[in-house]
Amino acid sequence: MDFSWTPEQAELRAAAAEMAAAELNEGLAEREKAGTFSLEGWRRCAELGIQGLCVPEEHGGAGADALTTVGVLERLGYGCKDNGLVFSINAHMWTLQVPLVAFGSEEQKRRWLPGLCSGALIGGNAMSEPASGSDAYSLQTTAVRRDDRYVLNGSKVFVTNAPVADLLLVFANVDPERRPSGVSAFLVERDAPGLTVTRQVEKMGLKTSPMGELFLDDCEVSAEARLGKEGAGQTLFTHSMTWERSSILAGGVGAMERLLETCVAYAKGREQFGQAIGKFQLVASKLVDMKARLETSRALLYKTAWLRDQGRSIFLEAALAKLEISEAWVRSAQDAVAIHGGYGYMCEYEVERELRDAMGSRLYSGTSEIQRTIIAALMGL
Amino acid sequence: MVPKEQIQASVKQFILSEFLSGEDADELEPTTPLVSAGILDSIATLKLVTFLEEQFSVQIEAHEADVDHLNTVEDISNLVLSKL
Repeated sequence: MDFSWTPEQAELRAAAAEMAAAELNEGLAEREKAGTFSLEGWRRCAELGIQGLCVPEEHGGAGADALTTVGVLERLGYGCKDNGLVFSINAHMWTLQVPLVAFGSEEQKRRWLPGLCSGALIGGNAMSEPASGSDAYSLQTTAVRRDDRYVLNGSKVFVTNAPVADLLLVFANVDPERRPSGVSAFLVERDAPGLTVTRQVEKMGLKTSPMGELFLDDCEVSAEARLGKEGAGQTLFTHSMTWERSSILAGGVGAMERLLETCVAYAKGREQFGQAIGKFQLVASKLVDMKARLETSRALLYKTAWLRDQGRSIFLEAALAKLEISEAWVRSAQDAVAIHGGYGYMCEYEVERELRDAMGSRLYSGTSEIQRTIIAALMGL
Repeated sequence: MVPKEQIQASVKQFILSEFLSGEDADELEPTTPLVSAGILDSIATLKLVTFLEEQFSVQIEAHEADVDHLNTVEDISNLVLSKL
């Protein structure tokens, strides 16, 4: 294993961090308060090639390998304090672009991927339903074939990017009696008849990442909108989730490094009892723990991406990376608030927002409990 | 080249030990449905794919981890054999 960066990789990583710090953070406090998505930031990231990182060049992407992709996303997360924007970009990449690359027909790839890479289009997926979260394949949304079309009926919740999305990958069952084997995926455009984004939901954190609910009332799509075969939904979703679990917290690793630097600077500058608070062992030990979590998280992130690039299936490693990095991010954000004392609880110092943003990572892409269940099963337990 | 019979025996043994513990081995035939009968659920499929890749040094593509390729011991063995 060699995780040293080539000059080209290093240049791209530096460009991502520099652009993010210079252009993506202005007005964040106001956007967060209002729950506003930064379309300008989205486009700026796309100009730098972020959204198209792991999409093949012939479809408008950069054709980067997994290690390069997470390496660049890590630096984006380091420079960009708008964790909601980074989250929206991740949802777009792992839940729509990745399955399109793996399961799309040439026509589907040619039609959608260039726009998704260039930032002209925003996407996501719609899997969760009011009664199916962790038990995802028990979904109730149906897709009935009528001649050359499918008619979708049902409702979806927790749909990241829904209020601003141009294209969503909607999961529905074509034959509920076949249970998971009937689950199929459909590319549904924003203006499809019968599709309604019923409301934008308010969240604890990641407030600049819009999230909505969908209602599908006799929503008609053409048969060509089906992604993969009928019944391929489970296989497709597993592929999507494995990419997501292995990569979605790259930005979180960057955010942990930013938090650590903020806290070290604060601990050196803030004096109590006649000395910098970093000289007190109880404060210093929190900073050491944050450093240890950062380094172990980064090592897991890189190793998992490297294994993928070797052609290995990484079901266990992806779940482990997701579990460990999310837990580390939350604990380090809690430490950051504690190190800042009363100021850490004040919005002005921004670390409370980092904690609220980090909390979601224990839930999305499978809760920490689900990750442990997967890991235990793959350990042969 | 590993003979198909050997692949079948290895796959059958894995499925019996991991997902059908205590069941009569004779009940698991080469054509017994696994995915459509619910023996292979989503996590079991991950375990099976990991086993196949490690045991036979092959790479199972994302689109191959489905009912068409993994529904029976026969299907699974054919998939592995096509990659050796």
